[in-house]
Amino acid sequence: MVKVGFYQGCCFQGQDAHMFETMKEMFKRIDVDVVLLEETTCCGGNTIDEENRKLSYAINARNIALAEREGLDMLVSCNTCYMVIAKAKRALDTDKKLREEINLLLKEEGLEYKGTSRIYHLLDFFRDVVGYEKIRNAVKRPLKGWKVAAYYGCHVLYPKEIAVDNSDNPSSLQEILKALGAEVIDDYEGNDACCGYHSFFTDKSMTLKKLNRILGGVKKVGADIVATPCPLCFKSFDIYQTNMETPPHVPSSFLPEIMAYAFGIDKEKSGLAHHLIKVEKE
Amino acid sequence: METAILQVFRYDPEKDQAPYYKEYEVPVEGTLLNALLYIKDNLDSTLTFRAFCRSEVCGSCSVKVNGKTKLACKTPMKELVETWKGKPLRIEPLNHMKVIKDLVVDIDKPIEKMKTLIPWLVPDPRVVPTDPMHESIIYPEEMEAYKDQIHCMLCFSCYSACEAVADNDRYRGPFAFSKAYRFQVDRRDIETAKEKRIRYAISGGLWSCVQCQKCIYVCPKGVKPAEDIQNLRGQAVKKGFTDKPGARKLKHFVDWIYATGQINRLYLPEEVYGNKEAREKLTKAYTEMGVEVWEVPKPTKGLMKFRDIYLEILSKEDKALDLDFSHVRKIDRMVSEIFKADICTIVDRTHEEGRSSKGLISKLKGLLGGK
Ligand code: SF4
Ligand code: SF4
Ligand code: FES
Repeated sequence: MVKVGFYQGCCFQGQDAHMFETMKEMFKRIDVDVVLLEETTCCGGNTIDEENRKLSYAINARNIALAEREGLDMLVSCNTCYMVIAKAKRALDTDKKLREEINLLLKEEGLEYKGTSRIYHLLDFFRDVVGYEKIRNAVKRPLKGWKVAAYYGCHVLYPKEIAVDNSDNPSSLQEILKALGAEVIDDYEGNDACCGYHSFFTDKSMTLKKLNRILGGVKKVGADIVATPCPLCFKSFDIYQTNMETPPHVPSSFLPEIMAYAFGIDKEKSGLAHHLIKVEKE
Repeated sequence: METAILQVFRYDPEKDQAPYYKEYEVPVEGTLLNALLYIKDNLDSTLTFRAFCRSEVCGSCSVKVNGKTKLACKTPMKELVETWKGKPLRIEPLNHMKVIKDLVVDIDKPIEKMKTLIPWLVPDPRVVPTDPMHESIIYPEEMEAYKDQIHCMLCFSCYSACEAVADNDRYRGPFAFSKAYRFQVDRRDIETAKEKRIRYAISGGLWSCVQCQKCIYVCPKGVKPAEDIQNLRGQAVKKGFTDKPGARKLKHFVDWIYATGQINRLYLPEEVYGNKEAREKLTKAYTEMGVEVWEVPKPTKGLMKFRDIYLEILSKEDKALDLDFSHVRKIDRMVSEIFKADICTIVDRTHEEGRSSKGLISKLKGLLGGK
């Protein structure tokens, strides 16, 4: 059993707490114990950086320090949280003055950023810690006949310093989906376009154009569903899609949901049953 | 000798009806630029591309390889063959610019866009001596603020890769914002010019950047346009340009994270757009799905200390007043009302207690009009 600290961000609590339950249950099947890092806060969503970059570093030094206190590596699912936290870690690991300044503040809470915990995203965690073989072996309901479009999202591939895979030609997501027994489609128009999640509140028309590009591309190649390891990309696909003038009705899945389903967890519990754009495929 | 196949985009608007691709076998040696020169010298002298310095200085040799923007003279052939696992390499001109011939594009448009952001110094006479015989001194510490941005060599890699340019023709381009930012943090530049740059940046799409980070990824010079854009947004808000949705989103983040450690997606549409129905709709949708609705995030343990750290950093950066304390107090009141205790007591309760509080759920459902 591997134990890892789970960073929840805003996507796995409150009304989305069930997402964490799905995740935990799914991870159990591949011998991973995910421990919720309860006292962590929002990573700042790459927005606090607009206010002040040091504030973003401090918030995330605290988040990482909470994992370090438990002696655990940190697993992050959301692409944006992953990027923001990984960027902070890089800054803290390379800038001694910054680290000391922030540690002085963390001390009040009895915390210290040491740099001992690794930050994983789902994709490199599955590849490097769990292994594709283990995923393959956990499959109870192979996704036979499912044509799944693989969509990474930006913040696990760019910028290079924090990328979890080859930024130009990544393969981890395809490998995971293949291990589930799915037929994977990765060459479609929009496969590398931004999902538009972050511009929904700043420039909505931009979001809708992005969705049109990606979901249009997914539809054109005849995929049944698009799967993404990022809960924000997923929300953009499932929720914001309904804001489009003529939604293409492309179902989507947050990667852990479709994994849970393949591992034998039912549609209801895996979360697949609760999407706005229905996942019809069985 | 190991070789690779390049499928090169060919198009001569004066002769060709439409673009086509031509295949060339090239040695896997040196850089992509070496391969292009190899074609020109040995296989096909009609191939047209731009390149001068061959050493990552002039910024003229940027192209796309299998859709990804690369500076030809900086990209080893070996790396390309490894990345694409021996697949043919499709070489194309950059995006979003008119093709003049083959791999050469017309860069006038992005240059014109850049000029709208005043990418030059407007000297402040109180800082810069008007007498040309007097030295205008810049100290090394001052240059820290723009030491990366000055390396931009106008290669347009970022412009080609930019997600905002792709879907908004007015968007000025990542490099243009970095050029502008470079003067925003120059002490010698006059305040009125800084003000104007922000105004022009806003009309040039400052809030349309999707923060995809591709500009940072493709820049061969280590410029970080996406981060400069964040800095410009911060400046815009600081200078009082707060009437944009993006500015209100930032305020939401700053206040809610301080107050509760989290943002509140239920209230985001309301605080950004004044859209009250969105919250009701969301609440209804969640309730129908049988999901418990949290009107406010459960404040985390350690929140009070977290607030101290937050405020301390903001004070040090001279930004403490950016926190809207009346907003924070309003949030506090909401939290106390829902959790039936004052904020300090709540943060001492454990996470699980907060979560399984069934009374809270039914109260919320009644409160929000769910079923
Ligand atoms: S981060 Fe913004 S400026 Fe940079 S490429 Fe993406 S959209 Fe363009
Ligand atoms: S910012 Fe970088 S990628 Fe963009 S034009 Fe300048 S040097 Fe090229
Ligand atoms: S030839 Fe000058 S930058 Fe490549």
